[in-house]
Amino acid sequence: MDTIRQQTKLDPITLEVLRYGVVSITDQIDANITRTAFSPYVYEYKDFAVGLVDVEGHLVAQSTGGMPPFVADSVGTAVRDGLKIYGRERLFEGDVVVCNHSTVQGQHLNNTVMYTPIYAGTGEKTLVGFFAINVHWIDIGGVVSGQTTDIFMEGLQLRSIKLWSKGEPIEEVYRIIENNTRLPVDLMGDISAQLAGCLLGRDLTIALANRYGVETFLSAIDIILDQSEAASRAAIRAMPDGVYEAETFLDNDTVTDVPVPIRCKITVAGDELTVDFSEIADEAAGNINSGYFGGGMTAARCAFKYLVMPREPANEGVYRPLKLILPEGKIISARPGSPMGGYPFPLPSVMDCVIHALERAVPDRVTGAHFGTHSGFMVHGRRADGSRFLGHDSGHGGWGAGSFHDGAGPFRTMAHGDTRLIPMELQESILPFRVDALELRADSGGAGKFRGGMGFRKKYVILAPCFLQTNVDRTKYPPWGVQGGKEAKPGRVTLYRTDGTTEIVSKVKNHKLVPGDIVVLETGGGGGWGKPEDRSLDAIRRDLTRGYITPEGAKLEYGVHITGDKISRV
Amino acid sequence: MAYVVAVDIGGTFTDLVAYDHDTQKVIYTKSPTTYHNLVEGIIDCFDKGKITPADANFLNHGTTLVINALIQRRGAKTALVTSAGFRDVLEIARANRPDPFDLHYQRDEPLIPRELRFEVPERMNAAGEVIVPLDHTALETLAAELKRLEIEAIAVFFMNSYRDPDHELRAAETLRRLLPDVYITCSTELTREWYEYERCSTAAANAYVGPQVSNYIRRLESEFQSKGYDGPIFMMGSNGGLLSVSRTCRQPIGLVESGPIGGCIGAGAFAEALGIDNVVAFDMGGTTAKCALVEHGRFAVDSVYYADGYVKGFPIKSPVINIVEVGSGGGSILWLDDQKRIHVGPQSASSTPGPVCYRRGGTEPTVTDANLILGRLNAERFLGGELTLDPAGALKAMSEKIAGPLGYPGEQGAIEMAEGSLAIATVVMAGAIRRVSIEHGLDPRDFALFAYGGCGPLHAAAIARELSIPTVIIPPEPGNFSAIGMLLADARIDNAKTLTGLLDEQMVETMRHQYGTVEDEAQEALAREFGATEVFFQRHAEMRFRGQRHNIKVELTGLDNVDSIHEAFTRDYKRRYGFADSKAPCEIQVLMVSAFAKLRRPDIAHLPRRAGAGQAETTRPVYFKAAGGMVPTKVYDRGTLPAGFTAAGPAVIEEYGSTTVIGPKDRFEVGRMGEIRINCSGT
Repeated sequence: MDTIRQQTKLDPITLEVLRYGVVSITDQIDANITRTAFSPYVYEYKDFAVGLVDVEGHLVAQSTGGMPPFVADSVGTAVRDGLKIYGRERLFEGDVVVCNHSTVQGQHLNNTVMYTPIYAGTGEKTLVGFFAINVHWIDIGGVVSGQTTDIFMEGLQLRSIKLWSKGEPIEEVYRIIENNTRLPVDLMGDISAQLAGCLLGRDLTIALANRYGVETFLSAIDIILDQSEAASRAAIRAMPDGVYEAETFLDNDTVTDVPVPIRCKITVAGDELTVDFSEIADEAAGNINSGYFGGGMTAARCAFKYLVMPREPANEGVYRPLKLILPEGKIISARPGSPMGGYPFPLPSVMDCVIHALERAVPDRVTGAHFGTHSGFMVHGRRADGSRFLGHDSGHGGWGAGSFHDGAGPFRTMAHGDTRLIPMELQESILPFRVDALELRADSGGAGKFRGGMGFRKKYVILAPCFLQTNVDRTKYPPWGVQGGKEAKPGRVTLYRTDGTTEIVSKVKNHKLVPGDIVVLETGGGGGWGKPEDRSLDAIRRDLTRGYITPEGAKLEYGVHITGDKISRV
Repeated sequence: MAYVVAVDIGGTFTDLVAYDHDTQKVIYTKSPTTYHNLVEGIIDCFDKGKITPADANFLNHGTTLVINALIQRRGAKTALVTSAGFRDVLEIARANRPDPFDLHYQRDEPLIPRELRFEVPERMNAAGEVIVPLDHTALETLAAELKRLEIEAIAVFFMNSYRDPDHELRAAETLRRLLPDVYITCSTELTREWYEYERCSTAAANAYVGPQVSNYIRRLESEFQSKGYDGPIFMMGSNGGLLSVSRTCRQPIGLVESGPIGGCIGAGAFAEALGIDNVVAFDMGGTTAKCALVEHGRFAVDSVYYADGYVKGFPIKSPVINIVEVGSGGGSILWLDDQKRIHVGPQSASSTPGPVCYRRGGTEPTVTDANLILGRLNAERFLGGELTLDPAGALKAMSEKIAGPLGYPGEQGAIEMAEGSLAIATVVMAGAIRRVSIEHGLDPRDFALFAYGGCGPLHAAAIARELSIPTVIIPPEPGNFSAIGMLLADARIDNAKTLTGLLDEQMVETMRHQYGTVEDEAQEALAREFGATEVFFQRHAEMRFRGQRHNIKVELTGLDNVDSIHEAFTRDYKRRYGFADSKAPCEIQVLMVSAFAKLRRPDIAHLPRRAGAGQAETTRPVYFKAAGGMVPTKVYDRGTLPAGFTAAGPAVIEEYGSTTVIGPKDRFEVGRMGEIRINCSGT
């Protein structure tokens, strides 16, 4: 097989134009949704993904931005459920279907996929795929804060429900949605943007397919997926065969105080890579569960993409050589009805664990662990005039060092992407606290030939009575180093009361604060890469000059002598 | 003789355009950019045009000095002074990772390293009330330390200074007094908007380039004075307006995108003169293509610019024309990946070694090589014959690197793949234009494509067909168009100020007062800096519905009551989102004023063109897929075509520095301003 031309009747130019064409359509719709969506979750956090899936519900192309957990194939999962329920023959031109069902999607109920079938061609039209968009719906009912113990406390479930039928809206379904949300104006606005995106994406895809012919379009899709698969297999083949394992723990499941094991076993054999999560924790009593596709498959695919195929556009072909072993009833393959409100919390640690397992296989490509926790930090309460306030902040921490660089950050987790922190000048103008300092946390990055990234330290001075909710995990199982690199400092939240007492409040709900209290959020660092004794004295000197490490830290972690400006190894 | 002169210093060349209002004589010259002393290149351009600075009475000047200093990190030794507790704001940034799956992602290093970031006790709260007074003793101690460190520039940034700049201004004043030789800037002198990281980053960038820009301008002024120049010198601002040298020295970041702006201004002015409402300005050169939308002669101006791009760079709060860039230019390399998929760029052969056909050692086929293989470029007349191209070399590279491995043998295979590669480049560039249109809620089909730059006219018709744009316009002198545009710029000052609150009678009163103050300041500044007597204002505000978190920018010029402002907001909101609750209350977030003063412009309708040099009309084989292959194609010398000339494609129109390609189903005519108009709507 030396040329594409001999394999198919498609010339390489048409193929390339179509490949660019489908990705470009998803990117255009991405831009359109960013412009027209109503709530900041969508346009600010980019908590959505746009995809084109084939007639069997397999991902063909996806917008290049978007949150990592969506990139795994959240849109295809929903379409496959619709195909199971309706069959192709009952998904008509002009139908629009929505799905957020926990058994199908396996994530919190806000993540709702909307899709429409694409019929193209002249004369008798042919189904060529589906245009699908997953958007974080801002509110879908359920309890506001506090612990949920089953999915029914978390809001409205829509399992493959038609929102439009043959080009006409179904007003009853709109009415159900509108009356099951606390924020109907925002949600209905977002749904309009999502719908417009689906329909425009569909029309652009039809135009593209008709321009080159349906047959050419469909065979191009096959080749696109096959080429991505071949690239993926080549990358796996370049890794040494073997069985690789890793384990870590979450502090607890937010209900009981028992560590939650995260384990994986990875088998690289020829051009296939199998991720086995059989030994991971069973599903939890707390709501940190996720489903097979939305949890286990998502984490495995994200980690695979981070480590093995970062540059190849996400599609089904890339993931074909990736196999998953994951029995039902695990924390990332929870049974129907399990609570999933906090579904993303374990995922960064699961991804970290998969990357860690492959340390021996690709030592030059792995990084030390990242801080790996959502580090939620929220204050809420009522103002003097009775109005409510609620401010989400979140800890950004250090990322792991690699074989050619110190760790970066502070950033959010591997389950986040282009998510920006909230400006303090904005926070201070609407919330009852003042920030007295935001600084890099010295010595928080794990030592190594390359040092892990640093977390930060943020000091809040409380100005009015309010409640604090925090969710900083991995405090007992700090981010590890690789290739001899040292572990990082984990995160923590400390409360300094006006009476001089202190308390660690890393994971609390509705903790009462009074004016004058000081809360310090310190986020974890990233693990080091390589032995600390291999770090150059120049790099240690620079870290000291900049205060990234303290003299005590340098002596302790790197074993160096410091006399005046002179640094030497023992 | 009294020439108005525009000079554009680019990465490779320094371009000059001089225009005499009385005789309407125009001079174009080009000289290599002289990095060791940029003024030398400018003087070379004058020499080449056989004029001296004494012959000029007006100089407008664009330069890539600022962006180069920022990206190549060749600025001053700079310190940052912040409120106690916040020196790391510059390094922590917004903590985002725009490249989601890069495990090794790293942002560019901060402009000012941590050891040169210092804190002084001082703090205001969000209401602008003093929580900690500014500690002058600490400031004096710090000044001594900065002196010892031989700091050349200082940026001052304090938390919440957008509410009240008093502490910042006083700290800057103290430092200026104690360190008279150091360049000092504070964040609120540059922007009065909130968001600490963006303001801090802006101040840092301004200080970082301040000494270099000031020194450069001082040298330029003194050299020009010594050569007998006694007119004013202006700089081309990124906002599309002229800046005075005194303002440029204080706010050098106003020049951050100085280079490509001229073309947008020219496109707007040309479109206006031709009576065309909306154009896409498309500028394609050696390494990249850039596009911008111009509506009714006006271009969209963004209030934040990312130096070195959004993915790894840092923000500068300074108004910049919205220009989208893609990595496709004449030098873009065509290559196959491991799966034998064809890619165009973004790697470029740039000018050295350049495309294979330049015979300078290039081995990878490029977009220019593909154009030559297809017969679109004239091997003998490239750049007026200054460079003889090598078609055989281009063909061989295309065959060996692309066509052969893909199973397309021989000359015919190389030709097919050359055409195909350009088809891919076309969809990529069209995609960029489509995306910038969608982001503004516009349909590219409602625009004319206005193409310039060395390579723009080669590809414009194909891109227009891809976008279903019916009309392409190629202005005279497309290769010098950016410099021409600079002669057409107005003087312009932009100011923005955060003012938050519900839109009600009292707010409108506050707005009226604050707009008035800002406009008075701007008017006074334009009078002082430009001698302007007539000043025009545009008012905008960032607004949102109460309770929302995102703003839209609404034009409020001439509106001064709650109802009309509310109506303008809901109208724009509806245009963008498709619906708006016309009764819901709305909030003001940021006030913005743009002040303009018109300067005397050359009459673009009468800019004379170069005379033709060659034969009026020849024929050579050129490849067009739509015509079934290599077909005999008319080749015109642009200088010989009179206004009103019209013909059907296929055709190639040649001139110094550029070539225009007309497809087999297109028609073209030469317009009254010497422009080529291509009608691409034929089927």
